[in-house]
Amino acid sequence: MAARGVGIALAAVLALACVREAERPAHELRINLGTEPPTLDWNLATDGVSIIAIEQLMRGLTRLDADLRPAPDLAESWSVSADGLTYTFHIRAGVTWSDGVPLVAQHFVDSWRRLLDPATAAEYAYFLFGVRNARAFNAGRVTDFAQVGVRAPDASTLVVELDQPAVYFPALVNFMVTFPLRRDLVERFGERWTDPGNLVSLGPFVLEEWRHDYRLVLRANPTYWAGRPALERITAYMVEEASTALVLFEQGLLDLVRIPPLEIRRYENRPEYLRQPLLRGYYYGFNVKKPPFDDPRVRRAFGMAIDRSQFPELLRGGEVPWSSWIPPGMPHANRALGLQYDPEKARALLREAGIAPESLAPVQIVFNSGDPTHKLVAEHVQAFWRENLGVRVELQNREWKVFLKEVATDAPPVYRLGWGADFPDPDNFMSLFTSYSEQNHTGWANPRYDELVQRAAREPEPSRRQALYDEAQRLLLETDAPIVPLLVTAANFAVSPRVHGFRPSAMDLFFFEQVSAE
Amino acid sequence: MIRYALGRLLAGVLVLWVVATLTFALLRFLPGGPFDKERTLPPEIMRNLERRYSLDGSLSEQYLDYLGGLARGDFGPSYKYVGRDVADILREALPVSLQLGALAFAIAAAGGIALGLAAGARRDSLLDRALALGSLVGVSAPSFVIGASGILLFGLALGWLPAGLWEGPLYAVLPACTLAALPLAYATQLTRAQVVAAMEQDWVRTARALGVPESRVRRRHVLRNALLAVMTYFGPLLATLLTGSFVVEKVFAVPGMGRFFVTAVGNRDYPLVLGVTLVYGALVVLANLVVDLLYAWLDPRIRVAGEEK
Repeated sequence: MAARGVGIALAAVLALACVREAERPAHELRINLGTEPPTLDWNLATDGVSIIAIEQLMRGLTRLDADLRPAPDLAESWSVSADGLTYTFHIRAGVTWSDGVPLVAQHFVDSWRRLLDPATAAEYAYFLFGVRNARAFNAGRVTDFAQVGVRAPDASTLVVELDQPAVYFPALVNFMVTFPLRRDLVERFGERWTDPGNLVSLGPFVLEEWRHDYRLVLRANPTYWAGRPALERITAYMVEEASTALVLFEQGLLDLVRIPPLEIRRYENRPEYLRQPLLRGYYYGFNVKKPPFDDPRVRRAFGMAIDRSQFPELLRGGEVPWSSWIPPGMPHANRALGLQYDPEKARALLREAGIAPESLAPVQIVFNSGDPTHKLVAEHVQAFWRENLGVRVELQNREWKVFLKEVATDAPPVYRLGWGADFPDPDNFMSLFTSYSEQNHTGWANPRYDELVQRAAREPEPSRRQALYDEAQRLLLETDAPIVPLLVTAANFAVSPRVHGFRPSAMDLFFFEQVSAE
Repeated sequence: MIRYALGRLLAGVLVLWVVATLTFALLRFLPGGPFDKERTLPPEIMRNLERRYSLDGSLSEQYLDYLGGLARGDFGPSYKYVGRDVADILREALPVSLQLGALAFAIAAAGGIALGLAAGARRDSLLDRALALGSLVGVSAPSFVIGASGILLFGLALGWLPAGLWEGPLYAVLPACTLAALPLAYATQLTRAQVVAAMEQDWVRTARALGVPESRVRRRHVLRNALLAVMTYFGPLLATLLTGSFVVEKVFAVPGMGRFFVTAVGNRDYPLVLGVTLVYGALVVLANLVVDLLYAWLDPRIRVAGEEK
């Protein structure tokens, strides 16, 4: 009786294994998105999950080549006026949407108008704030869109006028919120225009199924202008628990997953392992309005007391110690800049500032829960400061939204934050700490820094631009030091051997156009 | 009986109103809002968002708006999932949690009663002791430990069951068993205690003395009385299981409603938090009502008392 039971169970398992084998169709890629994309509306999307799905469905004026330089995509070519203020994009002929409608320049104007319309309430409307009158239109101060600097004089020409020259503009229009849009469909379907069946796109894939909080299914777009992709289907599951996703990968139910930090050690030497350094910085910010950090010497002292070289071994996620702010891989990055580890000099600076470490009130480091990395880093920084400077350090952990509110309204003396590139130009990093940036929570303002960043934004000549950014970084990191960059992060994947041609980008984007699966 | 049920339903609506009001107030006390993100938004964009989601009015206006919407059956839009109404989200997620929860409830209720009866009837036997140990583990091990152990054993080591996803009956085994573990253990302990107590009652002794067969004694006199207490536990349990579990749904990638209890609060998605809380509240009210009606059916004394009123 028992033997028969075991026999039946074994047969069932074997049958199941066969079913699984048969269930895996050739030319299908099964990936883990991690979570539900909050939206597929590319004007409204803001997060790293939505963008992964949207990048398969859509294309923009430009795309980034292997060196992260903007290359022609929906714009076959472009030119810029001598004063650097007017960009003219020539739209590629013969591109059609998946419903057969030809792409015209007006589709970009419609998209940008919707992005900037205050009623749309798009969070990333500010990406186009460099376009003439765009900010005023978004704030409701200008109501006539004709005054905003974007127009389509004919079906194949898009003309954009900027307030200030911005040499990175062709890189910026690679970002999803600027993708063209079919106003007719948005008007017809309202908020449901991104539902399967309604969504019309022009990238390598089209949307077939969207089972919320579970999976997205994309299918090859036979009318894609650059040629039908090799993959027939992409099924993107939303497995939140990274370790479950990894087991599903090992069971052969998923082909591509992210590896959670604790598992990297186990995967490091396996052929399925893939590491991609990211254009993503991790830094500690000081509130320069709060003593003792109102003295730049104290900030420099604290910065010099951190030994970054210990972080890679500690975190094991492919992190690279990085003392400057523009991340490696981005143009004009400069490894030599920033404060280096020098405990001796740090103590001298503290003395010079008249600080007696033992009488100093405990210094607070505030970070957020949710990612154990932040606590690990904070504990090590605490140890460095205690040992090298002799100061007392308190760690304070906050829930994410509580943390964000606090940082944005009344930043703690020391806090952690990160920044990932939206487009691969130093301006995307350097403008963060201008006095007028919403992302600058340090309270630090330096007119010289603002001026350097603005001049670099309009400087087309690479060596002069390098000099401007170098000087700005010295101010930011070595002289005034309102922030201390610690490291740049990496993405870690497990990729099934049946998948070929998967190359993630340094901005943590995936392009499945070139991928094939056996 | 019908009047009693109607009265209870009316009280239930009152309870839900109190729940909605308290949840609304508590959410607004939480620091940080739905649009506080890693990237701080420019003030004009923040204003556009607040206008779009009607967060620019006073708190009392927002509260009345929300209650007005509820009265029309409108839970409002989600702040996190752009363009989706909370009602749509719940319509898609609740059935999954219902399926998984019903399965877990069936395992816990049937298993708990059967094991509890077996253990209680053979007090201090080897079986009784084994079950005591087993149920102790079930009650004390958190579900993520049970879930992860299940994945390791049946998913990785034996390869019998998928570690996650929701594609068919096979995919429901691990999450349902994980979800059922704690209530199964608890129901076993509860049933056993009741059975042990009932076995010592006079009426059981009398029935035995009258020569009633032991199986009939257990069924009619012991089990029925033991069930009364167990039933009280099953009501709220059913509501809890049916609305899903954050841990189980997250660990096994089940697209149910349970995960929203935590993620929606983290996202400060006020309408979604209110939506899941109200659905949970409504199910608790309903389940308790059903239990009370079952009580009346099981225990004639309650029935008579109810009718006298």
